[in-house]
Amino acid sequence: MDRVELKTGAKDAIPVVLGYLPLGFAFGVLASQAGMTVLQATAMSILCFTGAGQYIALGVIQAQGAVITAIIANLLVNVRYFLFTTSMVPFLKNHVNPITASILSYGVTDETYAVSMNRYQTHPPTASYMAGLNLTAHMGWISSTLLGAVLGSMVTNTDRFGLAFALPAMYICLLVMLVNRKSDALIALVSAVLCLVIGYAWPWSMGNMFNMVIATVAAAALGVMIREP
Amino acid sequence: MSPEAIWLTIIGVSLATLLPRILPVAMFSGLEFPDVLIKWLSYVAPAVLGALTAMSVLAPEGQLNISLNNLFIWAFIPTMFIAVKTRNLFWTLSVGIAAMAVLYNLTV
Repeated sequence: MDRVELKTGAKDAIPVVLGYLPLGFAFGVLASQAGMTVLQATAMSILCFTGAGQYIALGVIQAQGAVITAIIANLLVNVRYFLFTTSMVPFLKNHVNPITASILSYGVTDETYAVSMNRYQTHPPTASYMAGLNLTAHMGWISSTLLGAVLGSMVTNTDRFGLAFALPAMYICLLVMLVNRKSDALIALVSAVLCLVIGYAWPWSMGNMFNMVIATVAAAALGVMIREP
Repeated sequence: MSPEAIWLTIIGVSLATLLPRILPVAMFSGLEFPDVLIKWLSYVAPAVLGALTAMSVLAPEGQLNISLNNLFIWAFIPTMFIAVKTRNLFWTLSVGIAAMAVLYNLTV
C-alpha cells in the first residue's frame, strides 16, 4: 500500500464526488418515492454504483415492470463499462496484479474512467491510486444516496427542484468530455439521430433501449469507415 | 413491486454492472486486439452518450416530444453551454438542475 498514491487518488476523486452529490441525492429521493426503503436504496448504491443503470432500474420498479427488464436494460447500458475496462487493460497489465486490478475495476464509472485514463497518460497505474480514486468516488455516491433516501420522505414534489434534469445534465457533460476528435462529434450526432428515428419507427425499442444499442453499433461502425486526417 | 422483487432487482442489477467491469481486466490481460476492433471500441463511448443525451432530452417520458412544451429542451441549452465552457461535471449538473427548477416553477 502506497499512501502517497492512495491520497493522490482520493484527491483526484473530489471533483467526481462533487458531481455525484446531486445525482446520488436525487437517486435517493426518487428511490424512496418509488417505494424503496432507505436500506434498499443505500444497498443499491453500494452493490451497483451505476448512475444510469440505477435510474433505469428505478423506472422499472416504479412501472411495476419485470425484474428481468431491469437486468437486461442494465446489461445493455453497461456494455460501455466492458469497453471502458477493456481499453484500460493495456495500461494496467504490467503494473497492477490482474486479480487486484479486476476487483478494483468494480469502481470504474464514466467519471473515474475519465480521471484515471487521464492520469495514466503520465503516471503508471498503481493499485493504491485505483483504490483511492474509486473507493472515494463510491463513498460519495453511497453517502449522497443515503442522505437523499432519508430526506426523500419529506420531499413531496421533486420536480420543483429540477432533479429530473440531473441525469440528462450528466450525459451532456460526459458527452462533451468524451468528444476529443471531430469524428467523435459526428458519430455521437449520427448515433443520436439514428436512436431517435429507430425509437420513433419502432416504439417498443424505446422501452428496452434497443434503439440505443442498434444506433451505437451502427454509428461506431461508421466511425471505423471514416479516415482520420 | 414486492420487497422480494426489489431485492432481486438490486442483486441482478449489481451482477449486470459488476461483471462487465471486472471481467475484461481478468480475461484480456494477455491479449492483443486487432486495430479495427480498437477503432470501433473508441467510438462506442461517444455513440452511447450521444444516444443517451438525445433520448433523455427529446424523449424524457419515453416517447418523442419535440415541442416548445418540453422543458428538457429548454434546460438543455444552458447546460450544454456550461458543459462546453467548463467540461466540469459539478458545474454542469448544478446549472442543469437549477435551470430545470426555474423552468418548472415558471411554467407550473
